[in-house]
Amino acid sequence: MHARINLAEQPARPPRGGNAAAGARTLIAAREFSVFYGSKAAVDKASLDIPAGFVTAIIGPSGCGKSTFLRAINRMNDLIPGCSATGGLSLDGQEIYAPEVDVVALRKMIGMVFQKPNPFPKSIFDNVAFGPRIHGTGDRSSLGEIVERSLRRAALWDEVKDRLGDNALGLSGGQQQRLCIARAIAVNPRILLMDEPASALDPRSTARIEDLIGELRGDYTIVIVTHNMQQAARVSDMTAYFYEGRLIEFGDTGEVFTKPKEKHTEDYITGRFG
Amino acid sequence: MDPGSRKTFDRSFTAVGYFSIALMAAALVVLLMPIFAKGSGAFVFRGTVENRRLMLEKFGRGDRAAIEAEKAAAAAARAPVYEAIARFEAALDTADAEDRRGYRSDFREVRELVAELLGPAPGRQTPVLIRDQYGQTRWDRASVVLHRILYVEDYDYSDATKMGVKVATPRVERFRGTALEPLFGVLERDARAMLRPRTTFYWRFLFDQSFDAHIFGGIWPELLGTFYLAVGAMLFAVPLGIVAAIYLAEYAGESAFVSMLRTCISSLAGVPSIVFGLFGLAFFINTLRVSPSKSVLAGSLTLALLILPTVIRASEEAIKSVPVAYKEAAMSLGASRWRSIVTVILPAALPGVLTSVIISMGRAAGETAPIIFTAAVSVGKPLAIWQTLSQPTPALPWNIYNLATEHEAVDEIRHVQYGMVLTLVVLVLLLNLAAIVLRARVSKKLRG
Amino acid sequence: MHEQLLMTKGARRRSRLAALFGHSVLAAVASSSIIALLFIFYFIVKDAVPFFRFEGVREFFGSVRWYPSREEAEFGALAIFIGSALVTIGASVVAVPLGVLAALCLSDILPFSVRQIVKPVIEMLAAIPSVVYGFFALVVFAPLLQSHGGSLLAAGAIVVLLPFALVGSAIAGNAAGARAPEASRRAVRVGAGLAVGALFAAGLAALAGALGRLTVGSGTNALNASIILGVMALPTVVSVSEDALVAVGRDLREGSYALGATRVETLLRVVVPAAKSGILAAVILGVMRAIGETMVVWMASGNAAKVPEPWFNLLEPVRTLTATIAGDMGEADHVYGSSRYHVLFAMALCLLAVAFVMNLLSELAVRRLRRGRT
Repeated sequence: MHARINLAEQPARPPRGGNAAAGARTLIAAREFSVFYGSKAAVDKASLDIPAGFVTAIIGPSGCGKSTFLRAINRMNDLIPGCSATGGLSLDGQEIYAPEVDVVALRKMIGMVFQKPNPFPKSIFDNVAFGPRIHGTGDRSSLGEIVERSLRRAALWDEVKDRLGDNALGLSGGQQQRLCIARAIAVNPRILLMDEPASALDPRSTARIEDLIGELRGDYTIVIVTHNMQQAARVSDMTAYFYEGRLIEFGDTGEVFTKPKEKHTEDYITGRFG
Repeated sequence: MDPGSRKTFDRSFTAVGYFSIALMAAALVVLLMPIFAKGSGAFVFRGTVENRRLMLEKFGRGDRAAIEAEKAAAAAARAPVYEAIARFEAALDTADAEDRRGYRSDFREVRELVAELLGPAPGRQTPVLIRDQYGQTRWDRASVVLHRILYVEDYDYSDATKMGVKVATPRVERFRGTALEPLFGVLERDARAMLRPRTTFYWRFLFDQSFDAHIFGGIWPELLGTFYLAVGAMLFAVPLGIVAAIYLAEYAGESAFVSMLRTCISSLAGVPSIVFGLFGLAFFINTLRVSPSKSVLAGSLTLALLILPTVIRASEEAIKSVPVAYKEAAMSLGASRWRSIVTVILPAALPGVLTSVIISMGRAAGETAPIIFTAAVSVGKPLAIWQTLSQPTPALPWNIYNLATEHEAVDEIRHVQYGMVLTLVVLVLLLNLAAIVLRARVSKKLRG
Repeated sequence: MHEQLLMTKGARRRSRLAALFGHSVLAAVASSSIIALLFIFYFIVKDAVPFFRFEGVREFFGSVRWYPSREEAEFGALAIFIGSALVTIGASVVAVPLGVLAALCLSDILPFSVRQIVKPVIEMLAAIPSVVYGFFALVVFAPLLQSHGGSLLAAGAIVVLLPFALVGSAIAGNAAGARAPEASRRAVRVGAGLAVGALFAAGLAALAGALGRLTVGSGTNALNASIILGVMALPTVVSVSEDALVAVGRDLREGSYALGATRVETLLRVVVPAAKSGILAAVILGVMRAIGETMVVWMASGNAAKVPEPWFNLLEPVRTLTATIAGDMGEADHVYGSSRYHVLFAMALCLLAVAFVMNLLSELAVRRLRRGRT
C-alpha cells in the first residue's frame, strides 16, 4: 500500500532550502523534549519543528545528543534500559510517547539507516523483503515488485539485479549502505532517519549517498545526523545545531551556515571547537 | 637475579612450557595409538575358512560353491589329525588301566584344543553353543590356540627369589611313541592348509548382530543403541536448552532470580554422572514410571539432563555473539522483539548453536554412568524405533566396560573390545571435527 | 493517519498480556534447570536418609569394614572415602601443574599457528569418552605397570624432574658467574653449572634407582587411576585457565614488558596474579571432574575397599565412591529398600554435596575475577 505524502501545497521537487522549507507543514514537532539515561540528560529540553518533505540535518560535536534525539523519534531508545523521555514529541500531531501508540506501527512509518551498514546475514532479496514480510506481504510476486522498486529507488538495482540471491555481506560498504536504505524504503515509511549514514564509507560512496538523499527528498521526510558540516550544508534544507544536549540553533541551512544567529553556532561552524 | 639468570630462567621456563604441551600431545598419541592399531584388527584381519563358513551359515554371505570347495580342501588337510586321534583312542581303549589314567586327561585336553582350533570333529553332532560350532575364525587367535596345543605351559618355581617363571615344554614329549605323536608335527606344518587364512575386510562389523555374547559377529545393536540414546538426548535437551538460552540472552535482566538460575545451571553441570544415573533410576523409572524398567527413553531423559547445561551455555553464547546491529535493524523496521529474535537472531546464531549440539551429541554418545541403571543391557537385539520407549538396549560405552571386565571370555574377544572402542572414538572425534569445521564457517558467514 | 499509529485499549491489553505470557513461558522453561536440580537433590536425599536413620552415621564415616553383602552387614565406608580422596589428589598432582603450565604456554608463549593446532588437540583429549580412558587404563596401562612398573616410575620421575634440574643448574651457574671477576666469568659459570648439574644428576639417578627396584603387585591400583584421571582432567584445567589468562588482556602485559620485564617475569608476577581467581576456578573444576568420574576408577583402581599400607602407597588397589555405586547397584537393586540399596544413595549424597560446594566455590572465584576487572 502506497501512502504518498500530500504535498499539494508544494511543487513535486521543492527547491533547495530556504523559505520553502520554513513555510512547509510541520511533520515532527518537539516541545521541551528531553531524553534521560538514568538521571543524566542526553537531550535537554529541545524544541523544533521538522518540516515534511524536506531534509533536516542535525549537527554538533560528539556526545551532544544528536543521535539520541534521532533515535527518540522512532522510539529506538526504548531498547536501552534506564532510558526515559519527558516533554512533547509528536508526529503529525500525535504524541509519539503516548501509551496508546503502537510502537510497531510507528516504526513501520519511520525508517532508519545506521552509521555502520548492517545488512542481515541473508540474501540481498531477503534483506529488502524482510520488512514487507513481517508486515504481512506473503506472496513472492508482490515481494519481488517491492524489492525491485526499493532497490531502484536506492540506486542499487542495476548493480545487484543479477545476484539477488547472493549473501548481502558480500557487497561493498557503499553498496551495503544503499541496501540498508532500500530495506528501509521497502516498508513505505514517511520518514527516513539517518544516523551518520556515510561516515563509515569512502568519499565516492559518500557522494553517492548524498546524491541519493537528494533524490529521495520530497517523497520522504529525511532527518540526518552528521558530524560533517560540509555534508549538512550540501544536502539539507534545515539544520539543527545541538551542543551538550541542548538545541542551540535551528533554521534554514543557508542561513545557519552563513549568518548564524548564535555565537556558539558560529564558533562551531568556523571550527573553533568540536 | 642478575640479567643473565633472568634470561636463563626465561628461556628454561619457556622450554618447560613447550615440554608440557609436548607431554599432552604425547599422552594423546599414546592413548590413541593402540586403539587405532588394535581396533582396526576388528575390521581387517586374517580370516580362516571357519570364518567364511560362519558368514555363509549365519549371515547368508559368500559364494557357497567356493566355500564348499574350501571346506573340502581343509578337510583333506585335517584328515591326518582326526586319524591320529581315532587311532590313539582305539589304542587307549585296549590299553591297561594305568596307562589309560595317565593319558586320559592329557588326551582330553588335546581333543578339546583341537576342537577349539578346527571346530567340531567330522561325524560328531552339531554342538549346542554357537561358539563350539566353529573353529577359530581369526588366524591370530588360531595361532594362540595352536601354541597351546603344541606346548604345555608350566610355572617354574625353583628360583625362590623370583616370581614363578613361565616355561613352555613341547607337548609332543608327553605322547612320544604313541599313535598321537604324528598329530603335533602335522598340525605344526599344515595348520595353514587346515584353516586357509586370508586377509578379510570385515566392514560389516559395524552392522552385523553379534552371536553368542560377541564371540562372533558385529556390534550393530550397540551402535544403534548409542545412536538412539544420543539422538534421544538431543530431542529433549535441545528445545529446552535453546528456549532457556533465548530467555537468558534476550529477556532476563540482572535480578536475583536470574542469578540463582545461572548458579543452578552451572551446579547442574557439576553433578557427577553417576548421580545422574541414580537419579534417572529413582525418578524416571521408579517414580514417573516412563517405562516398566530400563529403557532407551529413560536413558535419553537422563542423558538430556546431563548435557542440558552445556547446550544452554553454548547457545546463550552463540546468541549473544550475534551483533546487536542486526536486532536494531530488525526492530527499526517494525519487528517486535520476539519476531526479530526468531527471524534474524536465531538464524544467525544457528551455526553456533548447532556446533554445541553436535559436541553435546558426542558427549551423550560416550557417557556410561548415566545409562548403567537406566538403559543399558549387555546383550540384546537391535531395537525398532517404537521399542525404544520401553526396551533397554546395548550401547557402545556400557558394552566396552562389560566386555572388558565381566565377560567370560575376556581375552578371546579382545579384538571386539578394541573394535568397539575404535568405533566409539572415531564416532566422537568425527562429531567434534564436524563441529570445529562448522565453527570455522560460522565466523566467516557472520562477517561476510 | 493517527489511527494507524494508535492501538485500541483492547489491543494494548492483549499485547501486554501476550508479552507477559511469553516472558513467563520462557522463564518457566528456563527454570527447568532449577527444577531439575531440586528434584535431583530431593530424590537422592529421599533414598539416602533411610540409610542414616537405620544404620547411623558413625560406622559409615568412621569404619573401614565394608561388607555390605554379609549376613551381619557392615557399612564402614571410610576406606572408600580415603580411596576417592587418594585418587583425586593423585589426579590433581598430575593435572594442575601440567595444566596451568600448558595454559601459560598456550596463552603467551606459543606462536599463533602452533596454537591453532594445539587447541584442537586439547579439545580432542576432552572429547574422548571416559570409558575409553578406562579401557586404556585396564587393558594397556595396567599390564604395563605390572610387568615394568618400577622402570616406568623411574622413567616418569626422570622426565618430570629433569627440566627442573636443568633449570636449576643453569641458574646456579649464572648466579655464580655473576659474582666472579670478569676475566674468569665464563669458566666459573660453566664450572658451577656443571657442578650443580652433576649434583642433581646424582640425586636423580639415586631416585630412579630406588624407584626402579619397586615391584607392582597389581596393575590396577591408585597410581594407574590417578594418572589416567589426571590426563582426563587436564583439558578442563587447561582451557579454563587459558580463558582466565587471556582475559587479563594486553594492557597489563604491555605495561610490564615496557618496564623491561622478561616474558616469564611478566607471566609470573603480573599475569598469573591477575588471573588467579580464574585459575583457581579451573583447578576446582578439574578436581570436580576427578572426584565425579566413574568409569576410569571402576576399571583401573582395583576396587579393593581397604586403606593402602602406608596410606600414601599409590601402588595398592583402592576403591572409590563412584565405583562402589556403579558396581554395587546391580545387586543392590534386587533388594530394594534394604540398607544395601540406601547406602549407595548415601554415598551419592556425599558426592553431590561435595560437588555442589566445590561448584559454588568456583563460581565465587569466577565472580571475583569479573568484579576485579570492572
